[in-house]
Amino acid sequence: MPVDTEKEISKMHRTLHSTQTEIGKTYYRWRKVAIEFAGENTKPLDVALRAAEVFGRDIGKSLLPRMNWLKGEEGFLMNLAGALAGLWNTEGGLATVEKGENPAEIFIKCTRDPWPTWAKEYGAPMEEIALCRERMYQTILEDVGVFMNVPLKIELQKAISRGEGETVMRLSKAG
Amino acid sequence: MPKTLFEWDYSDYPGAKKYPHLFKPIQIGNLIVPNRIKYAATEENLNGHDGFVTDAGVEYLRQRAMGVVGGLCFMQGVYMDEKRQGQGYVGQAAAWDDKFIPGLKRLADAVHEQRAVAGFQLMDCGRVGAVEVDYCHGPSAVPQRLRIFKPVQEMTKDDIKTMIQQHIDAAKRGIEAGFDIMEISGIVGYLISNFISSYTNRRTDEYGGDIRGRMRAVVEIIQGVKKVCGPDIPVGIRLCSEELLDDVRGNTPEESMESYKIAEEAGADYISCTLGWQESIYPVISRDIPMGNWIHLAKRAKEHVKIPIQMAYRLFKPGLPNEKIGAGELDIWEICRSMIADPHMPKKVAEGREEEIRHCVACNLCLARLFRDAPMTCYINPVCAHEWQPDFANPKPAQEKKEVMIVGAGPAGLECAYMAARRGHEVHVYDKRDEIGGTLNEAKHAPYGDDELWTCTEYQKVMCEKAGVHFHLGTEVTEELIEEEMPDTVVLATGPVYSKIKAAGGDSDKIVYLLDVMSGKAQVGDSVVVYGNRKPGIGCALYLAKQGKKVTIVGKEKSAGFDVNPSFKWRYMIYMRQNGIMVYNDCDIQEINEEDLIVRSYDGVRWPIKCDTVVVSERGPNESLKKVVQSEGIELFVIGDALIPRNLSSAVHDGYRVGIRL
Repeated sequence: MPVDTEKEISKMHRTLHSTQTEIGKTYYRWRKVAIEFAGENTKPLDVALRAAEVFGRDIGKSLLPRMNWLKGEEGFLMNLAGALAGLWNTEGGLATVEKGENPAEIFIKCTRDPWPTWAKEYGAPMEEIALCRERMYQTILEDVGVFMNVPLKIELQKAISRGEGETVMRLSKAG
Repeated sequence: MPKTLFEWDYSDYPGAKKYPHLFKPIQIGNLIVPNRIKYAATEENLNGHDGFVTDAGVEYLRQRAMGVVGGLCFMQGVYMDEKRQGQGYVGQAAAWDDKFIPGLKRLADAVHEQRAVAGFQLMDCGRVGAVEVDYCHGPSAVPQRLRIFKPVQEMTKDDIKTMIQQHIDAAKRGIEAGFDIMEISGIVGYLISNFISSYTNRRTDEYGGDIRGRMRAVVEIIQGVKKVCGPDIPVGIRLCSEELLDDVRGNTPEESMESYKIAEEAGADYISCTLGWQESIYPVISRDIPMGNWIHLAKRAKEHVKIPIQMAYRLFKPGLPNEKIGAGELDIWEICRSMIADPHMPKKVAEGREEEIRHCVACNLCLARLFRDAPMTCYINPVCAHEWQPDFANPKPAQEKKEVMIVGAGPAGLECAYMAARRGHEVHVYDKRDEIGGTLNEAKHAPYGDDELWTCTEYQKVMCEKAGVHFHLGTEVTEELIEEEMPDTVVLATGPVYSKIKAAGGDSDKIVYLLDVMSGKAQVGDSVVVYGNRKPGIGCALYLAKQGKKVTIVGKEKSAGFDVNPSFKWRYMIYMRQNGIMVYNDCDIQEINEEDLIVRSYDGVRWPIKCDTVVVSERGPNESLKKVVQSEGIELFVIGDALIPRNLSSAVHDGYRVGIRL
């Protein structure tokens, strides 16, 4: 039986999108539970930021085996930025990496982000998405920076509002 | 005045004539060691989880002490802190209290009974420690690269002082237990190496900074331990000559050599030259690294210090260390895994019995087991860690002599054959091939060092000959032959049966079998699919890729090489990438066509792969002859891949276990 390549690819594509969507929705289902358990005196944003730290800590650990200084500082920063953009893409975003004018400065640009859609569906505020992304990346960089003995910094420079436009983050050496 | 503990005269040993440099004495500090052989301290996870020495550990070491024929025999490194942050292995011996001294004395006594020099090693495992507690310790809290290890707590200055004192106190206990030589372990990621490395020591106080600062704790330990050891007990240290951590900004080779000089200045009586860290991305001791690959580092070390230099690391055979000692490029041949595989290896060298050595195949199963809290096991030596069980290690002669027919002269059959024959049985080995070795005849052609697997067959052949095993090669065992011979026992070691591909086109003439490919009998096109993602499939894929073929592996297991131990598997993953081998795991072949084949993933996605040859490496148990033997009422054993297709280790272990039971 010959393979209908188009059909097979579309099947895989559908599975990938369903998986991404289900993971995103699962995050918001758990967010709801966590906020309920945290009680009325806790701000939902604080709960979400704490979750971002937990994610960041764990993802940071998984990046350490691949950290490599053999290509020097610029190569290291480009690889790291690539890993952060890749993380976004795995979630269903469309992120790319661009060198800045300064060699120790890299921009991560995301032109498509699925998170606002899911946030809207579950009634979470849009600004939480950008802040959590920034916190998660900052936490990742804490371990990576100590590991490689390079102080690192990442800042949110521009955020997508409601999934349109471009989110820009700047990765650089701190200090 | 130099002291000699035991007099040894090697003039009657044939090996001493062949390898004269290995069997001449050397002075270390004020101690004369009769030869240049050292069993290096090796963790084996055989002690109690509370750090007390066990019978298993004592007998393990006793056999190695016998093996060094008067040379140095070190017990495993002890951890020294009651908090157990320095404990890196669940079965590591402890020396943080006097209560451990009686057990340690048993080890020293066991070595002395063999008239060998007993070595005691101090080993705080640092960032690879804390196997039983939540945090390990180190000079700086640098995150772990490998998740298997615990988070690191930065040591305060008081912690450092305490740690130094713990080394000194533990050394005193070692001396009281009767050890003759002291060693500080500063290698592969243990605490001392954490202090020395720029990767893990970021301190800005006097215990950090440049290499002198980073060596300060080490110097204080050497000086403190020297003081309690006095002039008669030499103190050595194991130090990295190259950390191989350049990707994470570890020490340069120059800094490492500086650390050697500083250790010598501090009073070290010898240095054991090592390399690599557990966190390093470079392989150091696996089979894919050529023998003698690192010996130049010993020579370089000798150019930097005057004290004796010892080294192991892929020096499995006596020729090279003998040559290098003769040339003044090495002083002592350290042995570790080779004496796990054969505890009497150097003794056999001395006695001119090299052909009786069971050689290590550098698979690193021993390491993989230790990191997973399991007792030491050797891939190739079934007796390893069973030395304390006489019925297993030295089985008694059989009470009743049997005529044993072993079908298959592969590693399982041969292992069983010589053990059974040694116990008094009359053993006949049959094989339809004209040569012994079974599927190792083909497996040895795989690249990256698999030719070393053949040493197993060479060893078994000699042992069979010495035990009086009868061979019937080129003879296929049939129902008629069994009925004619009517042996008391049949052992089926026939090897596996290669699987049929259950797919449309499964009878295609483009399908060939692994053994025919590896032996060069089958014609293979340029685009090849290897069916099966276990070790044989990987070996075959690499063999074909090395011939310039485009190779794809399709296999049902969720990860390729799941049957390879983790300490070696990562090498295969890298080699497959380097050789452009595409791997589809969790997949099966659905259809084989003229131009291509169709792969189907576990969840039903299908895609074509262009191929002109399909090589089957999937195997199943071999049921042939089983019913015939059973119907005759003959005692039957099925071993090795014929029972369940696994690996060389399982074949050897199966063979041994049945050989001692018959």
